[in-house]
Amino acid sequence: MTALVHSAAYRIAFISALAFALATALLGATVYYAAHRAFIEQMDARIAQASDSLLAEMNDDGVAGVREAIRQREANGPDSLGYAIFDATGHRVGGQLDTRVASAGWHQISFRDPVEGADPARAKVTMLPGGYRLIVAADLEPLERIDQTIFTQFGIAFVALLAIGLIGGLILGAYLRRRLTRIDLTARAIIAGDLSHRAPLGPRHDEFDRVSASLNAMLDRIEGLVSNLRQVTSDLAHDLRTPLTRLRQQLERLDGASDAGERARSTEAAIDRCDEVLRLFDAILRISELEQGSLKRHFTTIDLGTLAIDLAEAHEAVAEEAGRMLQTDITADCLVTGDRELLSQAVINLIENALRHTPEGTAVTLGTRYSARTATIFVSDRGSGIAAGDRSRAVERFVRLEAARSTPGHGLGLSLVKAIATAHGGTLALDDADPGLKASIHLPRRGAE
Amino acid sequence: MRILIAEDDTETAGFVEQGLGELGHVTLVADNGADALHFGLTENLDLLILDRMLPQMDGLSVLRRLRAADITTPALMLTALGRIEDRVDGLDAGADDYLVKPFAFSELAARVNALARRAAPTSVATRLTAGDVEMDLLRREVRRGGRIIPLQPREFRVLEELMRHPGEYVTRTMLLERVWDFHFDPQTKIVETHVSRLRSKLNEGGLPDPIETQRGVGYRIANG
Repeated sequence: MTALVHSAAYRIAFISALAFALATALLGATVYYAAHRAFIEQMDARIAQASDSLLAEMNDDGVAGVREAIRQREANGPDSLGYAIFDATGHRVGGQLDTRVASAGWHQISFRDPVEGADPARAKVTMLPGGYRLIVAADLEPLERIDQTIFTQFGIAFVALLAIGLIGGLILGAYLRRRLTRIDLTARAIIAGDLSHRAPLGPRHDEFDRVSASLNAMLDRIEGLVSNLRQVTSDLAHDLRTPLTRLRQQLERLDGASDAGERARSTEAAIDRCDEVLRLFDAILRISELEQGSLKRHFTTIDLGTLAIDLAEAHEAVAEEAGRMLQTDITADCLVTGDRELLSQAVINLIENALRHTPEGTAVTLGTRYSARTATIFVSDRGSGIAAGDRSRAVERFVRLEAARSTPGHGLGLSLVKAIATAHGGTLALDDADPGLKASIHLPRRGAE
Repeated sequence: MRILIAEDDTETAGFVEQGLGELGHVTLVADNGADALHFGLTENLDLLILDRMLPQMDGLSVLRRLRAADITTPALMLTALGRIEDRVDGLDAGADDYLVKPFAFSELAARVNALARRAAPTSVATRLTAGDVEMDLLRREVRRGGRIIPLQPREFRVLEELMRHPGEYVTRTMLLERVWDFHFDPQTKIVETHVSRLRSKLNEGGLPDPIETQRGVGYRIANG
């Protein structure tokens, strides 16, 4: 019983069944009232017609004419009306209707039926010339019978509908509960820790299947995030262990150092290790700040071309010093909305990658392009590139491809670039520059959106 | 100088206090915002070092109230690592400079010196001199021993920053902020490369190097 009370499915089914039953009852009441009214009006019309005709008889032939007319009407059988005429003293002078005299107008009267005894009737009392009163009455019994019939039939219909509704409600409620229970079981399994559980999908693609499908998609996403988080946590621990171990070694060496020169070198090295760890944290915190997406309030209009020229100018000498050549290939009019500093950092990361992961003597190009909707700033190199299969992995946090293991870096560079691009409503794409790698940041072009 | 240190972490406060004391400054320490505001309003101070996050009243509110009370003492804001927005908020609230925690003491010392000078009245210089290096800011020319040295715009700006603060260290971060407007740490050796090019141009012909490098601190040009 509590299952019935606390089940929304049953409640909905029962309420709709009850609503249908009530609608039927309302319909019954309306039919009942309308039929009742129509019958009474018809009855009144017959009474009025008979009264008028008898009044005309009175005017033509006097009381005797009326009495004769009444006798004829009564003798002619069943027009189902009763008649009585009284003189001024209240004595009945004609007609067989057994009732008392009454004042002029419409009345509900009681008369004595020879068979059934006292009976209600609808009557009209008409004043005739000479103080006579004419009563024409119709027995209300047929009306009662019709009322009774309508009432009974709709009563049966109401009860039947209520019963069918309740049975339907139980079936529908059980069905809804069964479908929901399957989804609920999945949720409970997840709560219990089994992240691999999924809601079963039916063959009909109905609402429940769609909810299950959405739930499953959400669970896939959560599972992905959780495993990503696990991966990041263990990678972070791993990436921290190396600089911290080296830091520890430096500090031990410092402790044992005897001459001032060695002590200074060890201190310096220890500080460098600390900075390495701090840079790692800075990158992690920046990425999470970007992923929270609260930076838009500082966005201004930026020309990617101008940005590229500035960054190229800052890095030309750096590239030359590193034995590479930095060229520009800039198209004007690449306006975007964004944070100059963040975009600079993203592009500098790409330049750093290009300088770091290519053989000496490689040409690196910093350029901009635009199409109808997007503005692009890219860094391409003529190095060895990244194999197609590794490109999507290269963007993941902490991933350092085998080829890059030997070079310094914390493996967050491209993740940061991607986070910056995403925060600007854009994307980071890695493509084959044949040979080499082309890393492009595609941003929504200002004025195009 | 009398310097207020508003920092709730006693270890950091002690580290800064000791360092500034060794440089000959007098320090006052407040470990909450209300005390910081009180000192700021009542004490005669030359510099405020305010942590962004303080108990009772955060550093930004303290600074806003002081600025609202027409107290123009230079202020250095300390912000947490990885908070991009904090710098802008701090500058909006009236900070003159900011520093991201954790910081090297040398970085703080360099900035304290720079802020102290900013407080002193300075004439608008059009010529800067350091030893035999002369800089004409109007004609954008640098001469050493009378000979014109052709410099790239950024190399000129680096040298200008050094010559505006003769005898004092200018850190790598300060150069990144002031010359390139980069408020983050690019891993590339932008500063190192530009200083090295500047050096080789200045020292052409075997002249002695006027720029001194202190590893882990920064660069400075000899005074006078």
